[in-house]
Amino acid sequence: MLTKLLLPNRFKKPGWIILIPSVLLGLFIIIFDYDFKFLEAKVFTVYSATLFNNAATWFGLIESNLTNTIVGVLFIIGAVFVAFSKEKAEDEFIAKTRLESLLWATYINYGILLFCFLFFYALEFLFVMILNMFTILVIFIIRFYYVLHRANKSLSYEKQAEG
Amino acid sequence: MKNRLKVERAIRNITQEDLAREIGVTRQAINSIELGKYVPSTVLSLKLSRYFNKPVNELFSLEETD
Repeated sequence: MLTKLLLPNRFKKPGWIILIPSVLLGLFIIIFDYDFKFLEAKVFTVYSATLFNNAATWFGLIESNLTNTIVGVLFIIGAVFVAFSKEKAEDEFIAKTRLESLLWATYINYGILLFCFLFFYALEFLFVMILNMFTILVIFIIRFYYVLHRANKSLSYEKQAEG
Repeated sequence: MKNRLKVERAIRNITQEDLAREIGVTRQAINSIELGKYVPSTVLSLKLSRYFNKPVNELFSLEETD
């Protein structure tokens, strides 16, 4: 079954613990265009060319701020843990819901991207692309847990009916 | 696809939860099947058939639209 490709259930909780703060922090640094000054550092880069410095760096060190890097990395780790760790109980119904949600997420993601391709240009488009890196995981998580929540809700109705 | 799962369950007097445990699926799966929201795999259908000791045809039947 597909569950072989999933992380163990114990990744779920740390996933949420990493994901929620990184989303909040991410929104904060995007909205206020904020950089933590103490995160200025020399970092290794594969390739870097800046507007003010004509000399491009290949496989070398550059000076940069790590705020975006850290928040982005934490988001991806948290979101992947949340999205792709097993549920407490796995079965074919959950597996089907997961696959369906992935399809949904991919469709909506590219729907948004198509819209943005058509109506955003230049720097604004770059901004859209940055956000777009995260939408597929976000949409997947929302849709997957929404469907599971709905299934759980209809369970409690059933329980009342039986009782 | 129509199903008689709820009826069979009533005859056996077994809750969704207990049936789910017997078959090895989640309660949500049993509930979704009963509500006609989820079509079980062949394996799951056969397990249900074995549990109720009835042919799959008696538990599930095709509709016009299938």
